[in-house]
Amino acid sequence: MMSSDVDDPVGVLYRHDPEWADVTPIKQDDGLASVVSIAYSEKFKDVFDYFRAIMKSQEVSERAFKLTSDAVATCPANYSVWQYRRKLLKDLKKNLFDELEMIGNFIIEEPKNYQVWYHRRVLVEWLQDATLELSFTAEVLQDDPKNFHAWQHRQWCLNIFGLWANKGDSELEFVNNQIKEDVRNNSAWNQRYYVISNTTGFSGEILDKEISYTWYWITKAPNNESSWNYLRGILNGRRKAYLHPNLKSDCLHLISQDLKSSHLLAFLFDLIEEELDDLNDDIESNYKLELLAKAGELCNRLSDEVDPIRIKYWKYMKRRLIRKFNPNDSQNS
Amino acid sequence: MDESDENQQFYRSKHISYFKRTLNVLPEECEKLDPTRLSLAFFALSGLDLLNALDSLSPMLKEDTIKWIYHLQITLNEEESNARQCGFRGSTDISFKNMETSTPFYNGHIAMTYVALNCLLILGDDLSRVDKDGIVNGLKALQLDNGCFAATINGSEDDMRFVYCACCISTMINDWRGINKHKAIDYILSSIGYDGGISQGPELESHAGSTFCAVASLYLMGCLDTCLADKQKEILKRWLVNRQIDGFQGRPNKLQDTCYSFWVGATLKLLGLYDCIDFERQRRYLLSTQSKFVGGFAKWTNTFPDPLHSYFGICGLSLAHEFDLLELHPALNITMRAYAHLERLS
Repeated sequence: MMSSDVDDPVGVLYRHDPEWADVTPIKQDDGLASVVSIAYSEKFKDVFDYFRAIMKSQEVSERAFKLTSDAVATCPANYSVWQYRRKLLKDLKKNLFDELEMIGNFIIEEPKNYQVWYHRRVLVEWLQDATLELSFTAEVLQDDPKNFHAWQHRQWCLNIFGLWANKGDSELEFVNNQIKEDVRNNSAWNQRYYVISNTTGFSGEILDKEISYTWYWITKAPNNESSWNYLRGILNGRRKAYLHPNLKSDCLHLISQDLKSSHLLAFLFDLIEEELDDLNDDIESNYKLELLAKAGELCNRLSDEVDPIRIKYWKYMKRRLIRKFNPNDSQNS
Repeated sequence: MDESDENQQFYRSKHISYFKRTLNVLPEECEKLDPTRLSLAFFALSGLDLLNALDSLSPMLKEDTIKWIYHLQITLNEEESNARQCGFRGSTDISFKNMETSTPFYNGHIAMTYVALNCLLILGDDLSRVDKDGIVNGLKALQLDNGCFAATINGSEDDMRFVYCACCISTMINDWRGINKHKAIDYILSSIGYDGGISQGPELESHAGSTFCAVASLYLMGCLDTCLADKQKEILKRWLVNRQIDGFQGRPNKLQDTCYSFWVGATLKLLGLYDCIDFERQRRYLLSTQSKFVGGFAKWTNTFPDPLHSYFGICGLSLAHEFDLLELHPALNITMRAYAHLERLS
């Protein structure tokens, strides 16, 4: 479809094609004035002159279908052509599996185009068959492991068709492999959260396992934002980091190894702030002051040494902390 | 760092030429952008506006542009049979003379309606020829049950980009009948990720583009302060400031790209934390993505410029109050000058 075939060699325009002699092409009509004019190629003008003609007559035919193939090859982002093509697919009762194969090849060539992914989604919906989709998206992700469309289509298929093999274990394994391939693949970590949310949920035992899993990858790449975001995300609203038997000490241990990880220090800062939130307000205890000092020190280290690009942010965080927990102490800086 | 001053120059007149050329004629390679020509016009016009160079366009060109924009409008017909189709298209790709505005597949596109209104305001038009009832009907046809918006009828993807467009459109026509706000807000809140950023839809990966769209939408709906709890705002701010490398990236562990100086920057402005970024490093990155010879900006250094990145590069510098650029409205994405014109119309 994409390259020329024997019946329509390169160079034969529609206006020279005897098969189309009965159709009057329609030139583009910009009205009385035109801006942002494009110096279209001859092929582009020709294809769309004829596409406009069939849109006007609402022609339903094989030749019209073939014209839409040329039109989308010439301009893949033209959603109107795709819409008309879908009308023809139905009216002509075309083989949808053939179309699925076509769109698969198209997506491989144009993996960031919204229209081709949407077209595939519609086909899968019409067919009510998503059996090929996990392997298809996996293929696309091999070329670009962070392709947003691929991950979105994959989630959509899992949601609608419930392709959770072995209660989600096989999707979890897929995610695991992605993370092993590249621990910094943020899309993979997002998918992990998605899988567990939709299968086992983050219940006590699962949450413990996830904390250990994440911590393992944190030690392998201590400044990887994705794993730290995941850790904070799974704990949020479920478990207090400061109450976890090991997290605080594990963090301190990493810090003692002089690891310059901004996310590590930030995590510890958040942990301390959460503990401060839970302390009784009235208590002006030494412990509270100790925590405040520790948190402030982390802000200092972040702004001065570990995360200097965000110096203003960490100074803001420190001011905020002081205002929140020690409003009487305005001299502390 | 040994960078000559030359690399830190802002090629103002080159950018003006670049945008003027964009408004005029684009090369063959741009034919793939045909359906969204109107957005290219927006990048050029708003870019010139930010550069305070709109008056380098002749009054006739401005008038012609307004004419062309209105030519792209699909208005409500007498029978009101085409209510769902109303709005603006991005180009005359499937238009023909004397066509009925109820012609099948001849539908408005929500993002093109948004940029059409932006362009008209920038050019000082009074919007009197805008079919506001038509637009409201068009919007109603595009909102889904879960609160999200599709781009056009007859089959389209739906995501946060179009929620944003819907909110901007409603703001500009000063008519919110086209949006069920409660549902839209629900959709936005359900798209907040575990990492505090916001995605195109529930459970998808957080992204700076969709985060901007979500926050700007809440702002325009007047509920940014009430809809997000303090804790949510703080974790969102953290997610946003973490996007800065020199320039900004769209997601954790992705490459920086010129346009994110706007998506992230404008969101930080709306949340009141813009001043916390590193201005120096952002400036260096943005200026390094300029094209010294043809003008414009590219997504990366040593890459070919394009209208989108040229525009958002200028936006990034405007947010940082650099180079005497006009001030940008961080939610609507037009200059405050154009916004003032909108306010005078109301």
